[in-house]
Amino acid sequence: MEMVMSAPVGGPELVGRVPGNRGIWVGILCELTEFALMFLAYAWFKQVHPADFHHGPAMLNTASGVWNTVVMLTSGYFAVRALFAIRRNDAAVARNWLVATLLGGIVFLLIKAWEFNWNIDHGVVGTGNSFVAMYYYLTFNHLVHVVWGCLGLIWAILRTSFGAYSPEDHDGLEAAVLYWHATDLAWIVIFPLLYVLR
Amino acid sequence: MKSMQTDGQERQVTLVWLGLVALTLGSAWLGEGLASIGITAALVALIVAIKGLLVIRYYMGLAGWGSRLGQVMRLYFVVIPLLILLAGGAGAVLS
Repeated sequence: MEMVMSAPVGGPELVGRVPGNRGIWVGILCELTEFALMFLAYAWFKQVHPADFHHGPAMLNTASGVWNTVVMLTSGYFAVRALFAIRRNDAAVARNWLVATLLGGIVFLLIKAWEFNWNIDHGVVGTGNSFVAMYYYLTFNHLVHVVWGCLGLIWAILRTSFGAYSPEDHDGLEAAVLYWHATDLAWIVIFPLLYVLR
Repeated sequence: MKSMQTDGQERQVTLVWLGLVALTLGSAWLGEGLASIGITAALVALIVAIKGLLVIRYYMGLAGWGSRLGQVMRLYFVVIPLLILLAGGAGAVLS
């Protein structure tokens, strides 16, 4: 596949350049394909067990789903600000925005842990209900990708702290940020499937 | 000049972030079940498409229409909302 892009937001004119690096795009496209298959499975089980899926969202804690989404989108916004900063050659500010991005990821994981605990207290366990099984299947898979994203951000924070990136060369930082946005994209679909659609 | 351009882009991304949060709250309101299942599915599919395309363009920076990578990413947020529409529509028929 030919990978060509025009100028990224906040960056110089970079026609013909792949943002981040080709490796991260292989990972992102594999991740989105994996989630697309899960979304197909969701659609299939919704057809086969309509009652489970009709009543399912009411069993969940909607507020934690909304907070997770807001935190994920805000964390993604912080990541964009980190890219703006490194393109201005302001590595200290870029590192601070990356730390804020990582904190967003940690808050996401803490909310999820609280939500799973709430689920157990309210009997939302993955047995005998296809909606609940799909809920854990999707959210645990996404959670794993958030953890990978956090590890990538930690790597980018360390590299930024040691002055590895410049306005001309920050592909590693950009790759970590792009992966973070890909996990954000997956959650943008997961949130309404589990908490809104009936 | 470049600084002014960057300031403008930062303001633009801030507005996009606020828009994404507003769309999320709109989705949550739809979850209250005030609209019919079919209308909810249609609005949810539309919101997912808008949010996905905004993230691809303004967060990931894939703005160029000539970019094949951008085309693949945008296609994803056409196909998945259609799937949501079909799944939601089926729910409306079966309920």
